[in-house]
Amino acid sequence: MLFFELFVQGLIHGSMYAMIAVGLTLVYGLLRILHVAHAGLFALGGYLGLLITNATGSLALAMITSALIVGLGGMLVYRLCYQPILDRPPYVPLIASIGVFIAMEEVFRLVFGPYGLTYNHPHLQSQVTLLGLNLRGAEIGMVITAMVLLGGLSYLAQNTRIGIAWRATVDDPEIAESFGIDAVKVRYLNFFIGSGLAAVGGIFISLLSNLVEPTMGGVPAYKALAIIVLGGLGNVKGTLVASLALGVVEAFGTIYIGSYLDRDAIAFAFLIAVLMIRPQGLFTGR
Amino acid sequence: MLRLETLSCGYGDMRAVHGLDLELVEGGTTALLGANGAGKSSTIMSVAGHVQVHEGKVLYRGEDITRATPMARVKKGIAVVPEGRRLFSSLTVRENLVVGGYSLPKPKSDAGIDRVMTLFPRLKERLDQRAGSLSGGEQQMLSIGRALMSEPALLMVDELSLGLMPKMIDACYQAVAELKRGGLTILLVEQSTHRALEVADQVCVLESGRSVWKGSAHEARNDTEIIDALLGLQAGPKA
Ligand SMILES: Nc1ncnc2c1ncn2[C@@H]1O[C@H](COP(=O)(O)OP(=O)(O)O)[C@@H](O)[C@H]1O
Ligand SMILES: [Mg+2]
Repeated sequence: MLFFELFVQGLIHGSMYAMIAVGLTLVYGLLRILHVAHAGLFALGGYLGLLITNATGSLALAMITSALIVGLGGMLVYRLCYQPILDRPPYVPLIASIGVFIAMEEVFRLVFGPYGLTYNHPHLQSQVTLLGLNLRGAEIGMVITAMVLLGGLSYLAQNTRIGIAWRATVDDPEIAESFGIDAVKVRYLNFFIGSGLAAVGGIFISLLSNLVEPTMGGVPAYKALAIIVLGGLGNVKGTLVASLALGVVEAFGTIYIGSYLDRDAIAFAFLIAVLMIRPQGLFTGR
Repeated sequence: MLRLETLSCGYGDMRAVHGLDLELVEGGTTALLGANGAGKSSTIMSVAGHVQVHEGKVLYRGEDITRATPMARVKKGIAVVPEGRRLFSSLTVRENLVVGGYSLPKPKSDAGIDRVMTLFPRLKERLDQRAGSLSGGEQQMLSIGRALMSEPALLMVDELSLGLMPKMIDACYQAVAELKRGGLTILLVEQSTHRALEVADQVCVLESGRSVWKGSAHEARNDTEIIDALLGLQAGPKA
């Protein structure tokens, strides 16, 4: 029973990592940029989610609104931070991205204060019993939402013209343009979707810890960067599998070696170990 | 229908083509020949809108399209089969064709796929296979099919036969001949002179980015030694 419970806990955290990491891997696949500022957008999602929930009492409204706002914010980051320097070597946009991330953290600190905010609706932390496990409503909601959103993304990518155009642009942007695909539109769509997903991930992590704070993007973002390497950079399916794997390893590690290493240390030890054995990531190719 | 006026194009400061004049007549097939590095692909890609034009003009049906985007050009009817095929290799055959027809309204896509299947029946069983898993010849067929999906009036094919098995070369040339009979204007780039001369009406030979010989394919066929000498290629059997 402990085994099953740990596995479920792993999936819960893994699905949250997936929500963050997918956006990162999408940006990498399209532009070959390590989009560190993604972590700032994720934290922005957490803040907006909490503020809107506390103001209106509706978590659903908070999610939809902040996903839309953060999605637009992601497009803005692309337009202002990446588009002018796309033809530079990769470290240039990387440095710009780190700068945007730090700036966003400081803005959160200035606007919302350094100590963090909590939800004022206790029912969001309520427990339910499912399959013999005591889970929080937020945890179940997170897994279901992640499945629905990532499933929707997969449907979009596989079955719609714009999704096919998007994948074609990742494969060969120049030739895709030759057939009438607007690469700029595809990039905006990419940032909108990736950032919107990150916002929802940010709201869920804030629900799980009942806290949003200026630096909340940091640790999940480092993990997400490692996850997308593990999943084979730019590989969406690999990223999903790597996210879940990391969640499960963390859950088991916390129980069995938790007295030596904390949760985050276990995650990084695992990622370093895997990357030493398979530096190309668990999955190569798309 | 397509006219290049003293076209110079290249990459950054580097010039790949110098002052090229070329005119393609509607419905004609023009072979652009030349050794490796002569500037053939650069010419094609500048017509497609991917290589920077330094000087001169690209006129298409009388309209100056020198500065048009690649997207605008495909809508006007210019399609390219690029060197090395450059398929979207992680996409299926069908998806590659859908992308080919992206500039047209959706309903035209299905009809287009049917037409491509008639031209290349081999692709039919492979519609849901990933493009990267096709053989070289099938990939070239798909690359031609993808270009045809945009219902072009001008088809530019770069290195149709390069790296293909003889049987596949025959099949691809047969398709080109059929397209020619259907009235399509074709610009054919080849290193293999003899195959190109069989199907072409007009010939232009490039050397180091300059046009060094122009004439009808008929003249060229009767003068293969000269052409081959210009190209520095081995003389093959006479056509
Ligand atoms: N992407 C590129 N960047 C810089 N130079 C290039 C590029 N592509 C081709 N060239 C140069 O342009 C010249 C013409 O090349 P190309 O048009 O590919 O010739 P061809 O197709 O006849 O073999 C060559 O000197 C080649 O090295
Ligand atoms: Mg070439």
